[in-house]
Amino acid sequence: MATTAAIAPFRVGLKELYLPDFSVILHRTPGLPAHNAKFTVPLWFSKLDLRDYLYHAYNVRILSVRSYVKQQRIIEGDPKNPRPQPNRWHRPRAHKHMIVELEQPFVWPEEPEDYSAWNREEVKDSEAEQKKYGELMQPMGDAVVNEERRKSMREQAKALLEGRLKWKPTTSRSVGSMLSR
Amino acid sequence: MATMHCTSRALLTGAFGSAFHRSSTLPPSFLIPCLATKSPASPFSTSPSSNARKDGNPSRGVSALHHTGPGKRQKLRSITPSQLPQPVRDPERRTAIVTDPDHGLWGFFNKERTSMPTPMDLVNHGRGWKTQELRGKDWEDLHRLWWVCVKEVNRLETFLGEKRRVGSMFGDFEAEGRMKVIYATQKAIREVLTQRFYAWENARVAAMDDVEVNLYADPEKGEQAYVPREEPEQLEADANEGTLLYSPPPPEGMNRGPEVRI
Repeated sequence: MATTAAIAPFRVGLKELYLPDFSVILHRTPGLPAHNAKFTVPLWFSKLDLRDYLYHAYNVRILSVRSYVKQQRIIEGDPKNPRPQPNRWHRPRAHKHMIVELEQPFVWPEEPEDYSAWNREEVKDSEAEQKKYGELMQPMGDAVVNEERRKSMREQAKALLEGRLKWKPTTSRSVGSMLSR
Repeated sequence: MATMHCTSRALLTGAFGSAFHRSSTLPPSFLIPCLATKSPASPFSTSPSSNARKDGNPSRGVSALHHTGPGKRQKLRSITPSQLPQPVRDPERRTAIVTDPDHGLWGFFNKERTSMPTPMDLVNHGRGWKTQELRGKDWEDLHRLWWVCVKEVNRLETFLGEKRRVGSMFGDFEAEGRMKVIYATQKAIREVLTQRFYAWENARVAAMDDVEVNLYADPEKGEQAYVPREEPEQLEADANEGTLLYSPPPPEGMNRGPEVRI
């Protein structure tokens, strides 16, 4: 690991912050050149703060910083809460992003070839299943057509009409059958 | 077909045919204004045009970031526009950028330097530090441990950000479990420092009332902060030392039964 230089390449602030409680997130930016890096920082962060943070914590020197605040869209309830909370409309806290020009280029490591270690296929299948089930829970849920059932019913009706199947009364095995003698 | 202005000389010459070339035949007098080369022009709209955007900046619209190229008013005296180097647009023809292995941004990644840790890697952790274990550590060690925790949280958040970009995979639960352990460690560090401060504060408050302690002593000058005073009641205190915790011994002639042990 390279050692931090004794003197910073910029004028260091006088305010010392100990035991920080925030996180700085690095993002992969395929659209930006290798000398650029994008970070998500706390909303109260300034460009000077990021320059100082990157230098002292990670020994990364930068040439310039650009920042922007991205407003979040209005949402209903808490997305982390599995229980739906309708009509609790609010706008979550905005995110601040900073794009930095590095002195030394940095290329992100390659994406893994297959995501089997993260069980990607299983999650995709479960999400599709959830989506299908979720459609039934919507207000227009009763308008959703089950094509498989339709096909099965059509086949059964055809078989009955052609005489391949004979109609039999359904024998229910539930408790109700005892009462309905 | 390009539209031609009514004052076009060519159009009129064509219309009149060869008759126009003869100097003897002149065009009708009512067509003389049409032959004027520069007709008076006036804008269609009569409302005054706003020059709000005309700031006179010669570099207006010229941007290196957006690859506009040199503007019309930019004069390249050393080279001509054709001599300007062209960017290599084909990614395969570009020189590969080699990342320095000592780059500071590797701190946002795990030891193997993969783009994302697997759930098996994330779950591979122990428990957090306990308050009892941290009490013996000095400020330097605690501060260092705190920053280790902060960097690990940054690493996990970076993983979650990348996971959000790719989408549809496991790893949330494992990362959350790892973060809980880190937060427990940070909580223990804060607890130890708080207790240490409270002990110091209590000692300071007690010392203010204590006669034997001199809070204004300067150790560099050799002044003692704690100067114990000799008291005359010390001898009596020594005799009774240790006996106050226990009850006084029973009298000598007392009839103690067979079950009494002392």
